[in-house]
Formats: sequence, C-alpha cells, structure tokens
Amino acid sequence: MKQADLVQKMTEKAGLVQAVVSRIDSFDHALAYAVNLTREKSLNTLTAPGLNPEDISHLSALCQNVGLEFVSPPLRNHLRGIHTALTHVDWGIAETGSLVIYSDSEDLRIATMLCDIHVACLSASHIYPDSASLSTVLKDRMGAGPGYLSFITGTSRTADIERVLTIGVHGPLKLHILILEDHQP
Amino acid sequence: MIETPHTIQGYHDQIHKALQNRFLGTALGNFAMAYKGSRARAFEGLDLDRLRQEMARAKDQSLPRLMELYKSFKARAEAAGAVVHLAKTAQEANDIIAGIAAENQIRHIIKSKSMTAEETHLNDTLERNGYQVTETDLGEWIIQLRHEGPSHMVMPAIHLSRQQVGSLFSDVTGERLDLEDIERMVKVARKELREAFLTAGMGISGANFAVAETGTLGIMTNEGNGRLVTTLPGVHVALVGLEKLVPNLETALKILTILPKNATGQLITSYVTWITGSVECQANPDGKKKLHIVFLDNGRLQLARNPIFSEALRCIRCGACANVCPVYGKVGGHALGHVYIGAIGLILTYFYHGTDNTRAIVRNCLNCQACKSVCPVNINLPRLIKKVYRLVLDDDSEKPAKNILVNTVLKNRKLFHGMLKAAATAQKPLVKKSDGFIRHLPFILKKEHEFRSLPALAEHALRDLWPPIRYRLPNPVLRVALFAGCVVDFVSPEQALAFIKLMLKYNVQVDFPHNQTCCGLPAMMMAEEDTAAEIAAQNLEAMQPEKYDYVVTLCASCASHIKESYPRLIPPSAGLTRLHDRLIDFSSFLMNVLHVKPDQFEKSGIKIAYHSPCHLCRGLNVTREPRELLSTAGFTYTPCRDEDVCCGFGGSYSIEFPEISAAILNQKLDYVMETGAAVLVTDCPGCVLQLRGGMDKRGSRIQVRHIAEMVAKEMKLG
Ligand code: SF4
Ligand code: SF4
Repeated sequence: MKQADLVQKMTEKAGLVQAVVSRIDSFDHALAYAVNLTREKSLNTLTAPGLNPEDISHLSALCQNVGLEFVSPPLRNHLRGIHTALTHVDWGIAETGSLVIYSDSEDLRIATMLCDIHVACLSASHIYPDSASLSTVLKDRMGAGPGYLSFITGTSRTADIERVLTIGVHGPLKLHILILEDHQP
Repeated sequence: MIETPHTIQGYHDQIHKALQNRFLGTALGNFAMAYKGSRARAFEGLDLDRLRQEMARAKDQSLPRLMELYKSFKARAEAAGAVVHLAKTAQEANDIIAGIAAENQIRHIIKSKSMTAEETHLNDTLERNGYQVTETDLGEWIIQLRHEGPSHMVMPAIHLSRQQVGSLFSDVTGERLDLEDIERMVKVARKELREAFLTAGMGISGANFAVAETGTLGIMTNEGNGRLVTTLPGVHVALVGLEKLVPNLETALKILTILPKNATGQLITSYVTWITGSVECQANPDGKKKLHIVFLDNGRLQLARNPIFSEALRCIRCGACANVCPVYGKVGGHALGHVYIGAIGLILTYFYHGTDNTRAIVRNCLNCQACKSVCPVNINLPRLIKKVYRLVLDDDSEKPAKNILVNTVLKNRKLFHGMLKAAATAQKPLVKKSDGFIRHLPFILKKEHEFRSLPALAEHALRDLWPPIRYRLPNPVLRVALFAGCVVDFVSPEQALAFIKLMLKYNVQVDFPHNQTCCGLPAMMMAEEDTAAEIAAQNLEAMQPEKYDYVVTLCASCASHIKESYPRLIPPSAGLTRLHDRLIDFSSFLMNVLHVKPDQFEKSGIKIAYHSPCHLCRGLNVTREPRELLSTAGFTYTPCRDEDVCCGFGGSYSIEFPEISAAILNQKLDYVMETGAAVLVTDCPGCVLQLRGGMDKRGSRIQVRHIAEMVAKEMKLG
C-alpha cells in the first residue's frame, strides 16, 4: 500500500472509534496544537514525556506564555493533575486505526492513561497496513528484555451498562492523532 | 456467590424466575439481533472460514506442548525479571496470590477482568484473608457490588438495567443519581475507581495470551483498566490459564484479529497491552515492578490429553456461543452456566467445577448448532455438550427414566414400532379428527406443555400405507430410497405422499426400505451413544444405499445426524460412504438433481414465510435451495426475522424444558405473523410439529406445511 493510502485508511479507521485525526507538517505544529487544545477545553496542565529536550523547552515556553502549567516528570508525583498529554507514537496500524507506543517509561504510561486528552503524534512513514506486517519489529522488541508495549485504538470505552457505548470510563476522554507528513518512502 | 442448582427441579425454579424477568428477555433479544449485524460487518472482506481453521490448527498444535511452552515462557519472562508460578489447583493459585499479597504487606488490591480468577473464586480467598479487593472493569465492579457472578463472559452485567445499576451506585456513593443517565453513572464509576487505582498496592489481571517465545503477556481491554492495574501499583500478579500459552506473537496477533470481531463486532479492543518482564515502577524503592505470573492448571493438562475434550481448550473466551444461543437469549447466563457461560460453559463447568454444578445445566441444549456455527476456533460445542452429559450420567448412579426407556425401546425396531401403533390406537378417543391434534393432554404431561397443540399419531403409518401404493416405473431416470424418519412415518405420512406424487411426475422410482427405523438422534440427544450406534448399523443395513442413486429424506434432523454422526458411530464401509455421499434433503434433490423449472408449476403467488431448520442450514449448510425452490414453485417467498433461529423443538428438549421451548417458539411465531404470510413452510417434520402446534394454540389462520406438501400442491398435472 502507498503511504497516502495508509494515511487515509489510518484516518478513516481511527475516526470510526472517535479519535480526532489531523495532518501536520512539522512537530512544532504538534506542540502548538496541544497547547491550543488544552486552552480551548479550559484545562490547565500539560505534560509530554518522551520528547527531546529541545522540544520540551520549546513546549514549556509555549505553556508559560499562555498560563498553562507544564508538568515535569516524575509524574508519580502528579497522578491527579494531568490534563493533556502529548506523546510520540512508534507505529501506526492502518487496518484498525491503532497506535503502537513503546511504553517502557513509567511516565509515558502514566501520562497516556491518566490524562483527559491524549495528543499523539505519528509519522506517516511509520504506518503499517496491519499488525501482521509489524510482527517482526514487535517481536524483536519483545525479545529484547523487559518491556511494556501498547496498542491504543480510540478512546477508553465501555458498553457494560445496557450495552450503551460510553466513552472515557478509565482512560483518556479524548484521543487526538496528528499525522506528521514526513515525506519518506 | 454463584449458586447453580444441583437438581433438575431446582433448575426449573431458576429458569422460571429468569423467564419472568422481562428486562432480561428484551435486553438479550436486542443484543442477539445487534450482534449478528455487527459481527457480519466486522468480518466483511475476510476469509473467515480460513481464519477459523488456522486458529483451530494453531491451538491444536499448542495443546500437546503446553508444558514445553510453559517452560519456554518461564525462562524468557524470568530472564526479564518476572517470577513465574505454576498452580496445580484453583486453591493453590489462590494461596500463591494471597502469599504474594502477604509478603508485600498489601491491604488493598485492584483487579482487571479475569475469567480465570472467577474460575478459582479468587476474590473469596483474598477477602477471607482480610484484603480489600476492588474490581475495576465496570461490569465486574457492578456484579461485585451485587455479590453475584457474571452473566456473560464479555459483558458480565448484561442482565442488569440502567435503573438497577443507577440505584446500586446511588447506594454505594450516597449520591442521588438520575436512573436514566448512563453517562453520569459511568462518570461516577470513573471517579470512585480512580481513587482505587491511585491507592491500591497490588494489581491482579488475567491475560488473553502468554507468548512463549518472548515471555510476553497480552491483555485486551476496552476501558483501559488493564493498563492502570498493571502500571500504578508496585506489585502486579497475572493469573493465566495454561491454555492461553501460544508459541509465538504471530499466533497471538491472529487471535487478536478475530477475537473482538467475534465477541462484539469490534475491530480491535481500545487497548492491547503487551508486558514482558519487570518494567519501570517508581512505586517500589528499586524502581522496578514486582511481576508475578501464576499459570493455572486446574485440570487443563489432563484435558489437553483427552482425545475427545481437548478441543474445548481452544476456547478464546469470546462469548459468541452465548450470543447466538436461543436458550441463552431466553434465560441469560446465570441460568446457562456456572462460572463459564453459554455452550462452552456447559462443557467447562464439568471439568472445572464438577458434576453437581453440571448435572442440570448440561441438559439445557437444543442441539441447534448455532454456537458451533460462530465459534472462531471451530469447537464442536453441541457434540461435546452431549459427551459431557454422558459423563454426568456415568457419574450419577441413577439414570433418568427416559434414558432407560430409549435404550430398551429404540434398539428394537419391532418393539418400538409396535408401541407406536398401540399408542395410535390408544390415543383415538383424545384426537379431534378434523385437525389431527390431541385435544386432551395425556396424563404424563404437565400444564407447562400446553404451549402448543400436540399432534396425534397418524391413523395409518407410512409403512402401512406403503404396500398398496408401491409402484414400479419401467424406465425411471433415477432410483431413490426414502429415509422417512419417525415423524414422517408415524405422524405425518402425508408429507411422504406429497413427495411420492412429485417423484411420479419426474419419473423417479422411490422405494421405502421396510426395515428402516428411527435415525437414532433422540438417543444421541440423551447421550446414549451405544444405542445410537446400534441403530445406525441397523439403518445402514436396511437402506442398502448401494442399490440407489440417492437416499432422500424429508427430515433435516435425520439427514444431518446420519451425515455427521454415523461415520463417528459405526466402522467405515463402502455402504456407509455411499449412504453419506448420496443422502440428500428434499429441496436440494429437487433443485440440484432434478433441476425443477418454474414452468412445471402453477403460479399461485401465495405469500410464504420460511423457517430454516437448524439441521438443514447449519447441519447440512443448505440455505439457498429451499428458498429458490419456493420461488420456482410459484410462491412469493417473504423473508422473516431470524429465519434461521431454532423453533425451540429439539425433540425431547421440548418435553424436558417446555417453558423455554415455548418462549423460543412464541418469539418465532411473532416474527412469522409480522410478515403477513399465509403459509409458514419448513423442511423438517419436527419443526412442522412444533410450529403448527404453536400456531394452532394461537388460533392463527397461518398454515404450517412441509415444503414437499406445498410444492406438490402447485405441480402442474399432465
Ligand atoms: S446447540 Fe444451540 S441450544 Fe445448544 S448450546 Fe449451542 S446454541 Fe445453545
Ligand atoms: S467456545 Fe468458541 S464461541 Fe464460545 S467463547 Fe469459546 S471461542 Fe468463543
């Protein structure tokens, strides 16, 4: 499948499970997106585990400018106060609209589980057609010692009361996926 | 506490209560309907049959090597910092887990959903040992608060209404809740359970896969509680049935592809978590998670070696066998299972929870094959249910009277047929001539059996009508033997006469081999396999299939039993192969062999609804032919809701569980009446009895006919 088709399928399938998908052409846009979204929803805090130091300082400056609190690790000290989490995504699976995130870092896990809004940035060139085509990559990772790997598809949901679909029972209430067009083969 | 009746009397009380629960009936009915549609959509474009075969094969390959896979898993996981245990029994598993809690001075434990923990009654042990245990899956939390077991393997609280949940939550939180507002209830649960996540010292999860080649656990959840349970507390214990071991990630991914689609029609669960060994956890001083993985044997290793039952271990707990089960749809999971629910529950209960808990529930199966047709790992569930029934009968010294009767009578054709003839005479004063129903219930039946009018035995059985009408065609196009089956022979010979009328027209020579007897399915339904085998051998000898081009039957149940079970019951032979290959149902014979054409029939245009018999559409996979035959014969075929759902007959089932049989039948008849059809047609004489009896009871004008009768009626003469 061509990259454009994969992006399209990914967008369509993620949309079916209530994820909001947008395209961006630089990571700076992701920073701005996360900040704006947090403000729009009248939320106050933002965290971003796993980003490189440069992006972090950029992001915390952005937060400061608009009066948002940037939450720094370790996040165990802030379990009750994480509103938005911005993270990278390792791989995308187009067939189901799933995000694959290597979540060995505890901060990354806490952020993506306890936040209200998860903003996840996925490189277009990292989208695979299905989980089977990703299996060798995943297997290598799993064989390489302790690890915690997550497939995330849409938001936390339940249908346990009268089978009525209800979003956001334990995990994030909203998932925003930003597909970074990185123009690689 | 889960209490499953140990006696059939107690069981009837439970069923009675379940049937009176209006909410349950509606909820399960809506679910069954929605499920079929979403499952079909989820599998669109996939080669489901191939996937099912692959998964069944992969599981079968793993089962004999479970210990080998376990050792490989243990080595990998322990190298990555986990501690791996093997518990022989449920008690041992619970003790290990309680020990881990004690060692780590835990007070509060949070759990994500685990059927295996339900199997071992883990919560009871932990609570007895003084630990506070909180279930965090919303459905599990609800039933925990209500002190009851799950009523579905995937949706544990499907038996409850929003009002029930709302008042429960109001009691628990002290906050008055709007009893209609589900979203609000979910928010309340989020808030209450969030505190539990943040304060508990230990998390317990199950697992959907244990990948041997990397020592990785795979856990699927929709709510995300699995991730929180495995991340926040310093200790994580996973309780995993040994059969969850798979050799490699590819196999796990295959299961992942099919499980959620088959469970609820979802493409994938919101979260799939793969954990290899001990990862970072700053709740502990060394910054590392304490991960214990407890594998549960509890009879699995022995089951894996069992030549008949090992296939039950293929189960991936998708719950689909309950979703489509008509009995489940009427009585729900608390009355159709113990811990494990639905068709697979009737089987596993015996192995994990003993004879007493299995005795009553295992009888509650119509043999409608719906479960088998959706099982993603091709477990022959109805067959195993009968096999479990047999084990229960063997364990119990006292046999039900009907089994003793079947064994003595069915084996001896002359005795059996003699009794039927005597009964035909004895019933005379009870029969109303004009419609062929018995107008007073025989004394052996109770009030519950009044839901349908009972058919009278025919005054003259087919075998007595046959000698005078026997014919010889000079140059027939085909020679066929008619396998009539008991109902056509003794209750509805008119269906055979209609068939013969058609065959004369098409120049087909029909013989009725006199020594044929009951096909043996009733014996099989009562788990009397030896009797069924003797009868199979008698019929094979009687039918002499090598003399005929085809053996035609008007009864789908006889046909599917002969095709599927005879080869298992009696030794292979050329005759058996011929019988198997040449046995054909009426509609397929007309459409695919005789190639009947529309111009051979009047065009009445009568509006007809069709009931697709279980043993035809699922037993023999015949779905197209009868519907095409109806159109070919000039009728207006009018599709009806749930055409392929069982009519509730199930032979002796409708005598043993009349209350459920009635509920299933009434639903069917309601749907038929919605179509506005003038006639309801089916191709199984057993279904005709049930449906016609029900229509008569309603005083409905809709006629019920065997398809052969309707087609023969429209045949152009000359
Ligand atoms: S055969 Fe039919 S009645 Fe029996 S368990 Fe399966 S679905 Fe239910
Ligand atoms: S027996 Fe088959 S259909 Fe039933 S839960 Fe197991 S896998 Fe699913």
